[in-house]
This record gives sequence, C-alpha cells and structure tokens, in this order.
Amino acid sequence: MSSGEGSSQPSSKKSRQPKYSRFTQQELPACKPILTPGLVVTTFILVGVIFIPIGLLSLSASERVVEIVDRYDEDCIPSDQEKTAFIQSDKTNKTCVRSLTVPKKMQHPVYIYYQLDNFYQNHRRYVKSRSDKQLRNPENEDLTSPCEPEARVDNKPIVPCGLVAWSLFNDTYGFSVSGMNLSVNKKDIAWDSDKNYKFGSKVYPKNFQQGSLIGGGKLDEKIPLSEQEDLLVWMRTAALPSFRKLYGRIEQDLEANETITVVIQNNYNAYAFGGKKKLVLSTTTWIGGKNSFLGLGYITIGGLCLFIATTFIVMYLIKPRPYGDPSYLSWNRNPPGN
Amino acid sequence: MGIDFDLLHKVKGLIECPEPDKDIRRFDANLRLFPPFLDNDVCPITIKNTLLQSCYLRNTEWACGVAVYTGNETKLGMTRGVPEPKLTAVDAMIDKLTGAIFVFQLVVVMVLGVAGNIWKDTEARKLWYVEYPTKGPWYELLVIPLRFELLCSIMIPISIKVSLDLVKGLYAKFIDWDNKMVDQETSTPAHAANTAISEDLGQVEYILTDKTGTLTENQMIFKRCCISGTFYGNEIGDALKDEDLVNAVATRSPDVIHFLTVMAICNTVVPIQRQNGTILYKAQSQDEEALVHAAAGLHMVFVKKNGNVLDINFNASVIQYEVLDTLEFTSDRKRMSVVVKDCQSGKLFLLSKGADEAILPCASTGQQTRTFSEAVEQYSQLGLRTLCLAWRELEEDEYQEWSLMFKEANSALVDRDWRIAEVCQRLEHHLQILGVAAIEDRLQDGVPETIETLRKAGINFWMLTGDKQNTAIQIALSCNFVSPEPKGQLLLINGKTGDEVRQSLERVLLTMRITSSEPKDVAFVIDGWALEIALKHHHKAFMELALLSKTAICCRVTPSQKAQLVELLKSCEYRTLAIGDGGNDVRMIQQAHIGVGISGREGLQAARAADYSIGKFRFLKRLILVHGRYSYNRTAFLSQYSFYKSLLICFIQIFFSLISGVSGTSLFNSVSLMAYNVFYTSVPVLVNVLDKDLSERTVMQHPQILFYCQAGRLLNPSTFAGWFGRSLFHAIVVFVICIHSYAFEKSEMEELSMVVLSGCIWLQAFVVALETNSFTILQHLAIWGNLVAFYVINWIVSALPSSGMYTIMFRLCRQPSYWITMFLIVVAGMGPVLALKYFRYTYRPSKINILRQAERLGGPILSLGNIEPQSRAFEKEVSPLSISQPKSRSPVYEPLLSDSPNAIRRSFGPGAPFDFFQSQSRLSSSYARNCKDN
Repeated sequence: MSSGEGSSQPSSKKSRQPKYSRFTQQELPACKPILTPGLVVTTFILVGVIFIPIGLLSLSASERVVEIVDRYDEDCIPSDQEKTAFIQSDKTNKTCVRSLTVPKKMQHPVYIYYQLDNFYQNHRRYVKSRSDKQLRNPENEDLTSPCEPEARVDNKPIVPCGLVAWSLFNDTYGFSVSGMNLSVNKKDIAWDSDKNYKFGSKVYPKNFQQGSLIGGGKLDEKIPLSEQEDLLVWMRTAALPSFRKLYGRIEQDLEANETITVVIQNNYNAYAFGGKKKLVLSTTTWIGGKNSFLGLGYITIGGLCLFIATTFIVMYLIKPRPYGDPSYLSWNRNPPGN
Repeated sequence: MGIDFDLLHKVKGLIECPEPDKDIRRFDANLRLFPPFLDNDVCPITIKNTLLQSCYLRNTEWACGVAVYTGNETKLGMTRGVPEPKLTAVDAMIDKLTGAIFVFQLVVVMVLGVAGNIWKDTEARKLWYVEYPTKGPWYELLVIPLRFELLCSIMIPISIKVSLDLVKGLYAKFIDWDNKMVDQETSTPAHAANTAISEDLGQVEYILTDKTGTLTENQMIFKRCCISGTFYGNEIGDALKDEDLVNAVATRSPDVIHFLTVMAICNTVVPIQRQNGTILYKAQSQDEEALVHAAAGLHMVFVKKNGNVLDINFNASVIQYEVLDTLEFTSDRKRMSVVVKDCQSGKLFLLSKGADEAILPCASTGQQTRTFSEAVEQYSQLGLRTLCLAWRELEEDEYQEWSLMFKEANSALVDRDWRIAEVCQRLEHHLQILGVAAIEDRLQDGVPETIETLRKAGINFWMLTGDKQNTAIQIALSCNFVSPEPKGQLLLINGKTGDEVRQSLERVLLTMRITSSEPKDVAFVIDGWALEIALKHHHKAFMELALLSKTAICCRVTPSQKAQLVELLKSCEYRTLAIGDGGNDVRMIQQAHIGVGISGREGLQAARAADYSIGKFRFLKRLILVHGRYSYNRTAFLSQYSFYKSLLICFIQIFFSLISGVSGTSLFNSVSLMAYNVFYTSVPVLVNVLDKDLSERTVMQHPQILFYCQAGRLLNPSTFAGWFGRSLFHAIVVFVICIHSYAFEKSEMEELSMVVLSGCIWLQAFVVALETNSFTILQHLAIWGNLVAFYVINWIVSALPSSGMYTIMFRLCRQPSYWITMFLIVVAGMGPVLALKYFRYTYRPSKINILRQAERLGGPILSLGNIEPQSRAFEKEVSPLSISQPKSRSPVYEPLLSDSPNAIRRSFGPGAPFDFFQSQSRLSSSYARNCKDN
C-alpha cells in the first residue's frame, strides 16, 4: 500500500549532472576524409610512381647476384644400386666429384649453401622435438621430455636431444679451382645469438647418435655445442619445405668461366623421401640472395596502381558523378520504411 | 468501525489473506480484531477495502491502513512479471555468425584432419627424420584433427566479447554523459541502466508509448474559452491573461459570471485550506482541477466545502451554494451536472458541463449553438480538450418531482446505471449554453517534432493508454501521430461482443489491404474491451492488422494488455521500444526489447524498471537517432572487424599447414598469438567508439538514414561475407608475399613468423584507417600508435634472451627487404579494397555516402518535407480563414469512402499552416462522426 513515490523527486540525481567535456559529448574535433576522385586517383598515382622505381632497383639488385645451383643427389649415386641401401651402408664409397662453371665474376664473400627440397623441417613432430633448456645449460641435461622419440638412449639423456639435432645434415664439400684448394671459412656461419646464448659453451655432446637408429651427422664430443656451428645452422629450423642453409664462405673472388671442382661426401639420406639436394654458390647484395619476387611484385603492383588510377580518371571524365547530390536522396519517392 | 483516533495504535488483530496474486479485481481476506475492540468477529475484507500500490490518495489528509503485501508481492509487483534477459538483434546476429564460423571451423578441421592423416600415411612415414611410429596408439587418427582444432580455435574471436562489453559500457556512458539529454527543469540526466542493448536503439521499428505523462506534461491548464460567442484567449493563447475577459469579469457581465460559476462549482473538487492561506484543490479529474484553478484566477475562488455547502469567494464577497444533487459523469453520458441552490436567493440551478456532443443537443430550442460548435471545432484543431458549459434555472416543483425519481433510480437494483442515466436526461434539457472551455493537457516540449522525426525515420508508433478514446485521439492528432487527413485516416475497431468486434476488424482489415499499396497513413483505434476480444478470438486477423498498420491507438488498455501488445509485435519479429512513465507501464517496459522510462511526475517506477530513463519524451529522438544509430554502426564495424582479424590469422595458419606437411604446425609462437588478439588488434578498433559517419545534425535532418540500421544493412550475412572475403584475400596476400620474399636461405621459422605477423598488423592498421569515418586525435593515436607499439613490444621481447624470438625483430628491422615486403603487403592488400570502396562510394553510393559527401560540400541539404514549418504552425494563431471555412464534414462512416480527390496533394510547402489545419479539421470531424455512429 505504498502511496506515491512521486514526491521523492530525483533530488539525488542533481549532483550527477554530467560534466561537459568534448570527449563525453562525443564532440572531439575530427577530420572526416571522404573518398574524392582527386584523393583516390592521386593516391594510386603516387603509389605507382613510388613503387615502380623501387621495383626496378630491387630487381636489378637481385639480377646482380651471381648464383650457381647444382643438384647432385641423383648423379652422386650409382644408378645400378638401390639408393636407400647405398646411402645407409657404412661400407660404400660416397665420394662424388662435381665440376661447376662460374658464369660471371663472383666477388667475395661467396656463400656456400646446401639446399634441401621436399624436406619438412617445419613438420610439427620435428619442430617440437628439441629441448632448448638442455642446449643452453649443462645442468638441464635431463630435460629431454620434449625430445621424444630421440630423448634417451639406454635411459641416458642424449645431448643434444631430439629429432632436429639427430637428423643433422652431414654432406661435406671440398672446393678447388684448377688444382688449387679453395679454403672454406666455416666460422661465423651461425647466428651470434645462437652462439652466445641459445647454445651453451659448457654443453658437450653426449650419447649422440648412439642409438639403434642413426640419423644424420655425428658431433665431436670434445667441442661444446656453441662452437658446433653446423648444428646451430641446422637447428634454426626452416619454415618452408624447400630451404637453403649456410655451409660456409669462400673468401676470395671467383672469376668468370672458372671451373670449380667440388668433392662431395654424399652422406645424407634424402632418397628415402624423394628429397633433392643441391649445392648453391651465391653472392649477395643489399636485398639478399637472388630473389626477383620483390622486384617483380613492386613493378606489377605499381603498374596496377597506375592502371587503376587511369581507369578512374577515364570513368570520371566519361561519367562524372556529382557529389552529394540531393536528388539521390529519394526518401519521398521511395520511403525506406516499405 | 468507530474507533477513537487515540486508540488506533493499540488495535491488535489478525488478517487472513490469500497468497499474493496478480488479480487486481479480487482480494478476499478476513480481519479479526482481538478484544477489547471486537471479539474475534470475522469481518470480510474485499478489494474495496484495499489500496493498491502506486495509487494516490486524494481528498483526505490521512488514512489508516495495514500493509498486507509488500515489495514484489504487491498486486502490482506480481503483475510486473520477471524481466527476461535482453539480447540485442546485433548480438543475436553476432551469435549466428559465430555459429556459422564455428561450422566453418569444424569443416576446416575435418578436411585438414583427414588430409593430414592421409598425408601422414602416404608421405610422412617415408620421412625418416620425423620417425613416425609404425603402430601408434588407438587415438592416433584423432591426433591431427585435434591439433587443427587447437590451431583453428582462434578463428572465433574470444576478444569480441570483451571488446563488445567494453564499448557497450562506453555507449551507455555516453548516454549518461550527454548534456543534450539533461532535463533542465529537474536537472535529470539520461541514464542507461542496461548497458548491453544500445545497438538495439538504432534498430527500433515500433515504439509503444504511454500517453499521459509521457507525451503530455500530465498537467491540465485552462487556456481558452468562448463565452456566448466571444472568443477569449485567442490572441495571447491564455484566456486568464486576456484583458477582455478580465474586464468582463470586472464589469460583472452576467454570461461571464455564470460561466465562472459553473467552472467553480460544477465539479467534485474538494478544496483544502493550507496553513499559509493558499488553497489546494483535490480532484479526481484533472480537467475539473484546471477549471477550478482557472475560475480562481478570475476571482471566482472556490474556498470551502462544508458537507453540501460550497463557499465561493467572488470579489471579496462570499456566495454560498448548496449542492442538492450530483448527476455523475459516466463515459456514456459524457457530461455531469449538479443541482445547486443559491443560499441567498434560494433559487435552484442546474449546472452542466460535458462534451460538445453531449451538451449541445440539449440546448434550449431558441438558442443558436453554431458559434459554440465552431468554437469546439477550432479548439480541437489546436489539440485542446473542450468542455461545454451550460446551465438552467429550475422550478422548485420540477426539481421536487425529479428528485423523487432520481432517488428511486439510485436505489434501483436492476439496471441502475441505465435508469439513472434516463432520469438524468429528464432534467438535462433546455439548457442555456454558456460557452466552451478549452483545456490543454500540455504536450511536452518537442513531442510533435520528435514523433514526426521518428516516424520519418521509419519507426511506427503505437499509443497505448489507459485514457479514454477521445482524449487519446486528440493527443494523437496534436502530436503528429497520425498524418493530416489527405494522407492519414483513422479506422475504429470497437464493439462489445465477439461478432461486432469481428465485423469491425474485418472491415478495417479490408480497408487496410486496399490502402496498403497507397502512400497512405492509416491508423486503427481500438479500445481495451475490443482488444481483449480481438486478441482472444481473432488473433490471426489482429496479427495481420498489426503487420499492416503502422500506427495504432489503443485506449483503455490495462498494463497486462500493454505487455500483450508488445508481445504481439515481438512475435512478428519487430524490434520494439516501450516508453512510459508510470507504474502501469512497467510490464510493457520490461517486455519490450527496449524499455524507456520517463522520470516524471508519476514517480520513478518506470524509470527504475526501464533500460533507459530520460527526463522528457523529446530526448527519445536523440537517444535513438544519435546514440542508437552510432552504437549500431560502431558495433557492426567492431564485431565484423573482430571476425576479420581472427580469420586472417587463422587462414594464414591453415595455409602454412599446407606447406608444413598438414601436420598442424603453428607458424606463430604462442606469445604472438595471444598478443595479436589482446593487444595488437583490439586497441585501434576500440577507439572506433568515437567514430561518427555522419554528424548529429545531418542525422537529425535526415532521420530516414536510420533505415540502414533498422534493416541491419551494416551487419548481416552479406556484409559479413565481404569481411570474410577480405580476410581471405588479405591472408593470401600476406602469405604469398612473405613466403616468396622470405624463401630459401631466409626461410627461418621465427623470422618468417614475425614477417607474416607484422604484415598482418600493417594491414590491420590500414583496414581500420580506411573504415574509420572521422579521425579524432585519439583514433590517430590508437591506429598509428598501435603500429609503433607493435614494434616496441617486439623489440622488447626480442631483447629478452630467454624468449624464443631473441634478436629476431632487430635482425628483421635491419633488413631492407623486410620493409620492402611490408609496403608491398600494404599496397597489394589495400589497393583493391580502396579501389572497390571508391567505386562503390562514387558510382553505387549508399544514402549514408551521399549525405557524407553533402556534409563535406558545405552544410547539409534540406530534404523535402522538412518538419520545421509544421511544428511552428502549432504555435501560430489560427488564421481566421480556417475558422470561416464551411464545415467540411465529409461523412466517412465507411472508411472506404473517404478518399478525397486531393488525397495526393502534399500538405507541406509554403501554404502549410492553412492547409494543415484545414485537413486536420476534416480528419477530426470525420472520426468524431465515426465515434458517434458506431
């Protein structure tokens, strides 16, 4: 039987009268750009004009790179033998000699890469199978749980454990030009951060490649992990199934038309899964190795922008459209409620 | 029971009452008072002994009572019902889209899972370096699908809920903060009690409004009068200030004095002397209160009521009248009369007041009533309530004879009402018409404009009122509820029996069907009784009617009927907004998708139960057009953008899994993935709450633009498909460019992952920038600052040796190819989007685009049919032309016949005031006829 709350006027609310500020009133000064033909066409032309030169620059940089690619996995195996059996056997002679011709002068440093195709370093099982803690600190030797199935041998921890390390690439290359040995600099091929931090200087390989299954290369147990640069390079897993990894550098110029003889120890088994192995010699420029994609991409996109701009100009000339014409507001002719 | 006042507090007793229920017509309880008052006698207590919650007590200073039910157990509390949790249309749509994405995700997971298992068996077993066991565990087949499920779980953005809650909170705050919605009189700010449904405000299709206190001030004021042919108050709009009238009172012009006397004493008002000398009038009817106040203002002060003796103070002399009989007002009679005796002269008078159709036919034969009916016509055109006042001197014999009959009728057991009415009629004849009083239930400021604007915005109005039909129609007309005659038309549905209602309903439906193709504005009027029958027995027909009719006036409806009507419209899939101010609107407010309460005279009950409370009806316009519309637009963008960014990253993961042996490798590390949703992409879009596509002024001038919100044009499966396509396109752009520019010796996992991620972030920034309509400083800060923050955060993370991505970001930022890749991604990703947007913007513009362009070109353009001239027309004086117009009573008993030849003619334009009034007069007269004939 409450009668009338009307008398209790909202006196309490009086104090709550909002304070004025531009934010609370949603009145912050704002710029409202609208897509005028001028603005849009200018943008496209500007982008086109900037992009094409950059594309040309990138393309020319990529063109300046001299690159020798030699696929050797097929040729370095006797055709009469079963490939997998040959590569897995300890007794076969796996030395293989290739000769490469330098097409253009290659200025030092010439980078030596090995390229693996159809090798899934990005496979989930593979990527996960490593223990970064173990690699960093000798005390964490036992932290091998993520490394399955290459974690332990006879219940002793493997250092470095895991599939990534276990499958270490172990082909080796020896270079010579007209009888003279070319020295290969294998120092500083790994990232500094890996050498200095990720891989411990007090962690030594242990029980590595001792199991029943032998994967890839072996490691010298006297050298700490941080100095095993081949391992460090290998353990920077590649994101794509076709990748190149740095093998070393040749610190001298290679003249055009020189023939380089390469002695390859063809140890690594890429035959079982139909992978390809390639040896790559390449110089480098500011943009990196030979890769015309960016240059072509820039030129294409820049061209497209100019094309779009032209189209819009033509459309504007043929069919100019008045902006904000009230005659398009046909509320009354066509009431929106229906 | 005759208990002394002093003893009251000593009364002890017991009330046996039933369980709380919601039936307001029944209350069957017993009262036992303990000795010494009554010896355990059982006294019955019925509904007549009770006061319901939110009733006002008048004419008494005190009352004694016992609270039987309290709180939610009161009758009103029980009728209130449990408010359902409200879900906005936008939220429902987001839920639907989430469902669709979930299905899509399942399909992706299934396909990739199967593909992964096949690839594993055909290819992966050959990869010796992966060492797949030849015989896996029993759940082996599930492992890859489950990995993909984990990988794709980011497809449904969890952050959307958090972001939405944040921005919704802010929308509500904007409403609370809005200075333009503060009622200056009571300094009540608007308040959003429900922070979750602001978007729905922009999608309202039906507004169901209460009348009294919502549209009107709920304050009756005597404004004009016409006394024996002379109009008072026409020039200045207030008869009390009209010098002619004041002079007439001073010179004691007999007609005027009689008129004032009727005003002062022909009523049931009780004057209460307050201590400071002022007199407070307590009246059941606010009309009577207004008349008595006005009479007092003209020196005819009703001072005291002692039993049947009334004291009138006129120019310092006291006149006493004795009330002999009161012939009460009933809605059938539409008039009330009193028989009084002048205590000085002993003469008997019959004083009557009532509706024109009830009084004018009773005029004495000699009197010309034309001026009065013209006055009534003129006043009703102005939206004023009119009362005709009349009197007659009675002969003593006549009265005595009649008095006996009256007493007999009063004690009749059968058909008492009818008999009383008949007896009353015997006395109420040969009246001398004194004049017409016009009372204004003043509309709140800006009500007609608000309704006009909202109707233009495509919102349909239903008025649900407990008031009587005539008043409801008057108010409906005066506040632009129904368009003027050539365009608007009122159809009545009434009847007391099922058959009558059915016939009436069918007739109206027929008219509706015929006129629905025409640009007509047809409204139906129904009363509570017919509504009850229609809802119960002719539900289907009434549904159809509701679908066809944009406007409806429902009078004499109960709170639960109001709720039923809301329910009806909701079942037709309409978005409804209910607005009211009193306790009787609470159910309707809770039932509707959006409840708006007006914190007005009738207390705060409605405002408390409502989702939004505002001080005045006119703020509704701003609430819907500004806050609702912006909220909808912002949420539409924000939600779709959230899906876009999640899909983008997920598509990239899917693409990556295609080149990683379908094994479910994640390209991104877990920190990046988490930060992507939480930091990198959510901040810029949150600032979108400040985005305004059109200025408030433009929206107010072109309320039609609300259509885009109502129809859900900015968030629906097809716009969502656009965003879906965009994210697919952007994922392809980012992925293809990255894996080609970071191929071979650069294809290091951590590096590539950061390149791809930064590509996504760059695109995000530009997508938000392109979709932002108005850039404030905060938006610039959020969009570009976020991009900078991305680098800063990653530099910090890259500086931590323990993190997986140690030194990565520094390495990348030193490479020119990284920056070149980024710009390529941005241009390749945004170029087509910009081109498409520009093309649409210029050659297929939406109305919003056109208005934006117009706004930019310098000031909004005025569309046809601007509301200004009309609203001003109300304040203007009636032009003499329209008064002297011959009465255009086009009888429209059959609504079908009312098609006037000039129906198409627009009533807007230069001649608006005249045109408008003329047409309205025809409308009002036509339904006045309808009322009578039916």
